[in-house]
Amino acid sequence: MTGRSTVVTGGSRGIGRAVVERLRAGGDAVTTCGRGARPADLPDDVQWVTADVADPVAARRVVAFANESSGPVTVLVNNAGVCVERTVLDSTDDDWDLVVGVNCRGVFSMSRAVLPEMDRLGGVIVNIGSISGSVADPSMAIYNASKAFVHGLTRSIAVDHGPQVRCNTVCPGWIETEMADDGFALAQDPAAARADAVARHPAQRLGTPTDIAAMVAWLASDEATFVTGQAFTVDGGLTAASPLRPGSF
Amino acid sequence: MGRLSNEVDKVDRQERVLQAVLDLLAEHGISGVSMRAVAKRAGVELEKTVEDTTREEWNHSFAVNVTGTFLTCKHALPLLRAAARGGVSASVVNFGSYDGFIADPGLAAYCATKGAVHALTRALACDHGPKGIRVNAVCPGYVDTPMLQSFFAGAGSGGRGGTIDDMQDAVREVHPLKRYGTPDDVANLVHWLASDEARYASGQLWVLDGGLTAQVQQMRV
Repeated sequence: MTGRSTVVTGGSRGIGRAVVERLRAGGDAVTTCGRGARPADLPDDVQWVTADVADPVAARRVVAFANESSGPVTVLVNNAGVCVERTVLDSTDDDWDLVVGVNCRGVFSMSRAVLPEMDRLGGVIVNIGSISGSVADPSMAIYNASKAFVHGLTRSIAVDHGPQVRCNTVCPGWIETEMADDGFALAQDPAAARADAVARHPAQRLGTPTDIAAMVAWLASDEATFVTGQAFTVDGGLTAASPLRPGSF
Repeated sequence: MGRLSNEVDKVDRQERVLQAVLDLLAEHGISGVSMRAVAKRAGVELEKTVEDTTREEWNHSFAVNVTGTFLTCKHALPLLRAAARGGVSASVVNFGSYDGFIADPGLAAYCATKGAVHALTRALACDHGPKGIRVNAVCPGYVDTPMLQSFFAGAGSGGRGGTIDDMQDAVREVHPLKRYGTPDDVANLVHWLASDEARYASGQLWVLDGGLTAQVQQMRV
């Protein structure tokens, strides 16, 4: 048992759930949150707070709950994220408020809430960015920009709050989640689109939430005490290859 | 008139610099090198994986793409430094490639040489900037050259029986600008980098690819 008090945002499903289970298995006392009710299949010893991290008051409430029940939070994983699949021209002000609210303000508010104790006791923040923060996925304008914000904020936290606090970003590629399913669902032939996507990965598969959880767990561990301010891509080699693959024509 | 005279002097001096460098290259046994202004554009593209590349092929790729750039710069530097002291804008424009950042399949040695050119560009800018020499690299993507046509036709392209025209149409479609580049597009960037308009630009890698690498791979949907 590590006994660390750990907060993972957006732990109801997908990557967030895998991170919750991985850190819990390593002995952390995990608190997670989401906008809905506690998921029925969440392990009993994981604490749940119904909260929207886009709301700064709610973000403070999540951290206060974890501080109170499990001790000062020394590991924060900012995973909660939403995606709207639209170009700039088609995006509404509500789209902006939703995506920037969760993906940007949420990461900011949660980090600000844990930093006083982390500055005092030491701590680790791991943010979930995206390859989309470095290279654009089509028709995901605000999402792409929001992830670039995460990469930038990561560097600032590392610079301003080191050495007590380390802060890094993990940049997943295509991961088998409901968000990826939504992307394939837009295709004329979702099965063919999935096969094409798989073929473009040097790893010849899409990622799984546990692939990302493994990177998060390492970055949050003492194996990584000299690692801070960086963005690490876990994408099965997708972005190491050219966007143009004549062999796939 | 004074300005015109200065320009003539610049061109004259530049030509002498280039001739001297070409002579030196010939002395070192590097041939087939073409040079435009202060830019170094010489390259070979070997369409093989690491496993299929012989040591001789590897060495040849590095000799032309990396050692050629190294020797050209090495012997041009004293002359560029003298030019800079004389108040002439001195700069080097190397040819990298977008393949120095990401990989095209079956181009291992080429990708590696272009990565080396990128690193060499930064090192040169760092070491020789204090003497007034700017060093940059242009990193083209798909540009309509014999090298590109060779790539389309070669085994490395992995084409599935379509014509080269089909391949070209598909390649255009993937680019945000819906075309691939022309040699003039690249020459425009080299011209700007070598000009005084670019007087504060140094040590950078200038990707010129019609937006290709701004995007994630375009899945077929």
